[in-house]
Amino acid sequence: MPYSAKFKEHLAHPRNAGELSDANAIADETNPICGDRLRLSLIVKDDRIEAARYLAYGCPPTLVCGSVLTELISGKTMEEARQLTRADLLDAIGGLPSRKHHAAALAIETLNSALSLL
Amino acid sequence: MPNPVRRVYLDNSATTPVDARIAAAMARAVVENFGNASSVHGFGQQARAAIDRARREVAALIGAKQNEIVFTSGGTEANNLAIRGLCEAATTHGRHIITSSIEHPSVAGVCSELEKRGWEVTRLPVYQNGIVRVRDVASSLRPETVLITIMMANNEIGTIQPIAEIAELVRERRSTGQRHLWFHTDAVQAAGRLRLNVDELGCDLLTLSAHKLYAPKGIGALYVRRGVRLYGQNVGGHQERERRAGTENVPGIVAFGEAAKLAREEREQRIVHDRALRDNLEAAVLQRIPDVVMNGDRERRLDHLSNISFRFIEGEGLLINLDLEGIAVSTGSACSSGTLEPSPVIRALGVDDELARGSIRFSFGKENTEDEVDYAVEVLARAVERLRALSPLTLVSH
Repeated sequence: MPYSAKFKEHLAHPRNAGELSDANAIADETNPICGDRLRLSLIVKDDRIEAARYLAYGCPPTLVCGSVLTELISGKTMEEARQLTRADLLDAIGGLPSRKHHAAALAIETLNSALSLL
Repeated sequence: MPNPVRRVYLDNSATTPVDARIAAAMARAVVENFGNASSVHGFGQQARAAIDRARREVAALIGAKQNEIVFTSGGTEANNLAIRGLCEAATTHGRHIITSSIEHPSVAGVCSELEKRGWEVTRLPVYQNGIVRVRDVASSLRPETVLITIMMANNEIGTIQPIAEIAELVRERRSTGQRHLWFHTDAVQAAGRLRLNVDELGCDLLTLSAHKLYAPKGIGALYVRRGVRLYGQNVGGHQERERRAGTENVPGIVAFGEAAKLAREEREQRIVHDRALRDNLEAAVLQRIPDVVMNGDRERRLDHLSNISFRFIEGEGLLINLDLEGIAVSTGSACSSGTLEPSPVIRALGVDDELARGSIRFSFGKENTEDEVDYAVEVLARAVERLRALSPLTLVSH
């Protein structure tokens, strides 16, 4: 299964890259098997995600999942963000080969880690 | 997103674009030499003559005699025939193989398969420069060693192995009584790029592939020194002196013959051309991009190839970023099912996982231009910068 046009677009033009200096939650998770790493910083005010930034190291799906995730969660309430699943993320990307689904799992895990700090 | 306008192919070690002269020779053979070369009538004999001409050209590329060339479907089949064929024929003399830790999968895979069937395999290290040490070969030799298989030049980093020195060691052992010891080298990457002469090299078996020489896929050859016994792996016909049964792929063989002839005639100019482009790319990368590591020995390597690790980023992301702008390169790293598989070749150099994951191979060919190198460096510098801006690994180091 080839990567989608949206996937390639995010890879070439990542959204929300970087780190928020005034974040009130930062989570940094690593896939222990492949070493892929995702770092997510959030500003949450009045139960709503006002801003999200990410840094990522690893295979292209990991980089793209970070970019798409930050778009998906910006403006959402904490509860809405908690409801987000791996399948939602995969849908938003336009699908990934099954052998790359671990990238979406890492992104959701990192999101949940960040939310658990709040 | 618009498709890239420009396309730059810098992956000539994976395969080469087909030379128009070779394609024309092949097209003629498809139409004119359709006869079965085993047939005694005129049509068959015409195809036989075309094969014989091609065989002479392939033999001439490596200084062999034409009856020492066995045509196969490619390098992988030739490696299978060499290693399995020899080991099966030599099984009463011993069951030990010496190889290197940076072989192509078609050699490494056959060795692993034989290992499962009770053969013992010693895989020699290559150290930081990516080169096998002859003294390691010597110290690994046992009375029951029947085969040494070590590649001529590596496909990922281009390092040239001490083949003539290893062959000398084999000759010494034979002269002191170990008569049942043979030496195979996979020269798929080296052919057409290094001057090869099987008598000077002293190997018994040598693998070639046509599609690295501007010919199409589907044709290769194994050099088998006269007197070396091999068990055929494809049986059920008398073709290729009983070593490879099956009606010959006449157009493929003709293409290989033409490719070998052109490689011999044009080798010097191709080397000068490729080396200049490679050196310019490396100089520009070192000047423009910080935190890079050049992999493999700087001197003893093929002239058309450069393997560079970019710190803080992963090779596949870089590869796709380059591909989006029309530039084709390769990376030895792969990530599948959540399991990291950094290039075994780069890992064998003793580098850390991050460097192994961030390695990219650029390989040049006769069709590349200086302008393409400039474009590739521009795109590369931007892509590396973009990916590094994303990398959490830069947080601790910058």
